[in-house]
Amino acid sequence: MSNGNGSSPQYDVVIVGAGVSGNLIALQLGLAGKKVLILEAGPAVPDSREEYMENFYLALAKTPESPYPALAGRTASLAKDSKNAGTGTLPDPSILPTPRATVLAIGKGADQSHLIQPTGGAATGNDQSMRKIPFSSTYERVGGGTAWHWLGTSLRLVPHDLTMKSTYGVFHDWPISYDELQTLYGKAEREIGVSASVAQQAPLQQAIGLTYPAGYQYPLNPIPSSVVDQTVSTGTSGLAVVGDEDDENTLYDVFVSNTPAGRNSEPYQDRRVCAGNTNCIPICPIQAKWDPTVTLGKALDTGNVTMSYQSVAVNVAVDGGNVTQIDYLVWTRGADGKLTSEKKSVSARKYVLAAHAIENAKLLLLSNNKQGIANSSDQVGRNLMDHVLYLAWALSPTPVFGYRGPLATGGIESLRDGKFRSKRSAFRMEIGNEGWNFSAGDPYTTALDWIQGTNNAQTNPSEQRLGGLALVTQLNSLLTAQFRFGCLLDQSPQECNQVTLDPTITDGLGIPRPKIDYGLDEYTMEGFAMAAKTCSAAFTQMGATEFTRPTVNEPPPNTFPGPGDFVYKGKKYHLYGAGHIMGTHRMGNDASCSVVDASQKSHDVGNLWIVGSGSFPTVGTANPTLTIMALAFKSADNIIASLS
Amino acid sequence: MTTTPATGGPSDSTIQDFADMSAALTGFQSSFLRPFLDPTNLSETFYNFVVSQAGQPAMDDLLNAFRAIKTQPAQKIADTLLEVTTTPPSNQALLCQSIIAMWYLGSWYPPANLLGTSLQQVISSQAYTKSLVWNVAQAHPMGFSAFTFGYWSNPPASLDAFGVNTGGGK
Repeated sequence: MSNGNGSSPQYDVVIVGAGVSGNLIALQLGLAGKKVLILEAGPAVPDSREEYMENFYLALAKTPESPYPALAGRTASLAKDSKNAGTGTLPDPSILPTPRATVLAIGKGADQSHLIQPTGGAATGNDQSMRKIPFSSTYERVGGGTAWHWLGTSLRLVPHDLTMKSTYGVFHDWPISYDELQTLYGKAEREIGVSASVAQQAPLQQAIGLTYPAGYQYPLNPIPSSVVDQTVSTGTSGLAVVGDEDDENTLYDVFVSNTPAGRNSEPYQDRRVCAGNTNCIPICPIQAKWDPTVTLGKALDTGNVTMSYQSVAVNVAVDGGNVTQIDYLVWTRGADGKLTSEKKSVSARKYVLAAHAIENAKLLLLSNNKQGIANSSDQVGRNLMDHVLYLAWALSPTPVFGYRGPLATGGIESLRDGKFRSKRSAFRMEIGNEGWNFSAGDPYTTALDWIQGTNNAQTNPSEQRLGGLALVTQLNSLLTAQFRFGCLLDQSPQECNQVTLDPTITDGLGIPRPKIDYGLDEYTMEGFAMAAKTCSAAFTQMGATEFTRPTVNEPPPNTFPGPGDFVYKGKKYHLYGAGHIMGTHRMGNDASCSVVDASQKSHDVGNLWIVGSGSFPTVGTANPTLTIMALAFKSADNIIASLS
Repeated sequence: MTTTPATGGPSDSTIQDFADMSAALTGFQSSFLRPFLDPTNLSETFYNFVVSQAGQPAMDDLLNAFRAIKTQPAQKIADTLLEVTTTPPSNQALLCQSIIAMWYLGSWYPPANLLGTSLQQVISSQAYTKSLVWNVAQAHPMGFSAFTFGYWSNPPASLDAFGVNTGGGK
């Protein structure tokens, strides 16, 4: 076992990817005295996050990717027909060593988008057919991974999320019991430092079956609920909604819950308390929110974990049913900007792919001269899912004082389970603390409307131009009343929603880029329609004025359909990505229709674990990071046991 | 605070006029935009930036227009310079819109007559972290909070505490 010159160190385990799963497994292995190498495709975790903060401050569009390297240019034309209008010119992924999916590239062609997907608007067609639509979630390729910009939401799945087939007759059951998952959640909540209260979550036991082991306590006290949460809670009091329009007698209570959060309500593991920067996404300026670099630091402190940055795995070599080595390219950029790379190989006893759902699938398909590995089930790359997101926004009749506190501190979780799940997606409703930032690009859009006499955010229909105190007063009344719901739906798994290798288009290292075929089925679109109705019912109950725009491009200019727009039952909708990429190497007990087992170990390859949200057979409505880490604890135990 | 201009740079009184005009246009207190102790010195940064984009003559003309009416109530000054009742507004009024946007959003949105020669951009990280629209919302720039844990569970302080000239005068 060597890299060809006999001098490479001997590792017990090689891990591809330094994100949530990779770092946690590295930590557990390191604590157990195992020698670990992590290959991370992207650049190193910076010594200080100031450089990332500066990127964020100077970014024209403060998208999730904006703090991280290889961002768009910092100047843009305001001319609407210009290629760099509004956001600046995006770099061409074909010259980058580690291009990644970005929000600004959604709907763009291969000269701007790492993911190769159709660029046109959504197809219409009958309501039973799949709506082809761009996949709208994104990821990072840097040390620490995509969870640099997770929100911190640390919801657990509920029991029926694991038993969709046996309870509701749809999709698949998970190959893991809720009892076991609960124990793993406890470990994950301690590693992250989750702020929440079991007593506060108690009403969700009756509503959606959320339970905790007797005596369980979260490690940190809850994050206080925002004025927005308090206003929605009071305003929606007594609201109950239909879950299935064919069953109008079954009503579901709507109530607000404090959201368990992976951000500090008290100092924890040498990190400070949240100061309410309202910036969990794209970056917490003070690391009050846990992110994978915290766990990576602890892993490195064990003395047993070695990092190799700028190291892109390109082949997982399998012989005799086991991985024998991983081939990777180490890239550098010269002072002249020229990209060069050197091919290396490394061997170990066990291997872990933790590169996130799309890049894991890409690497598996790329291996063995593009014949693929670990894929006797033909499920690698399939069942790509997101918590497709429906956004609804309104002005409250009383000020809610958004743009303050963590991005979200509360949500309506009471609709996450019910017998309607045999017919349509369930959803949770996140309550935003950032006004119309996500929904309308505010405060920018509204401010410019009232300065320039436009009506892009729809609050200035007479296109007035204001200045001085009149401008302050007008904007204050709008900005302090803005709030939104973000409904995260449990999208159905579909084999045709698939990551494959593009046959011709490559990145700057010559590696094929991911081609995405993706769409929504009737089950998910029906959930969308119900989410829209439920948001409107909540606004009505509150006396709020709804401003939800059916599509991003309407009005103005009216160019339906744009990327992410679709029509269902004659109504227009717009889909946003939740940033939750799941399902490309699903877990199951049956090797003929799943890629990994309950420990995320490959069914086909003896010493290979494929980890992360790609393993989710169904996605429920809990934001995935907590579950990703819980499953990683199980994988780590399994790997350690296999090494002894 | 009196500053000594670099040779050929704007005089202190010019910067003060620019700050006073900006205060009228934005609805904020002049002493908030240009405090006695002003380590970030955004007034001068913004003055120089506007000159670099729109040219010195346009800036001189605008400040002269302001000086001619500077004793009037702040709202009257803003309405006059912005030509709020005139359609379409003149190039000078469009420049005033860009100046408000610069203070409010920390970014340069070129006036329509300069499109093509002047590009949208965040002027500096300090221009972002000091941008005023967040004060208008009684909040803070996203990613730059000077508040402490839990503040979000209570209503904020009044607009005066955020630098707004709520009296409507100078």
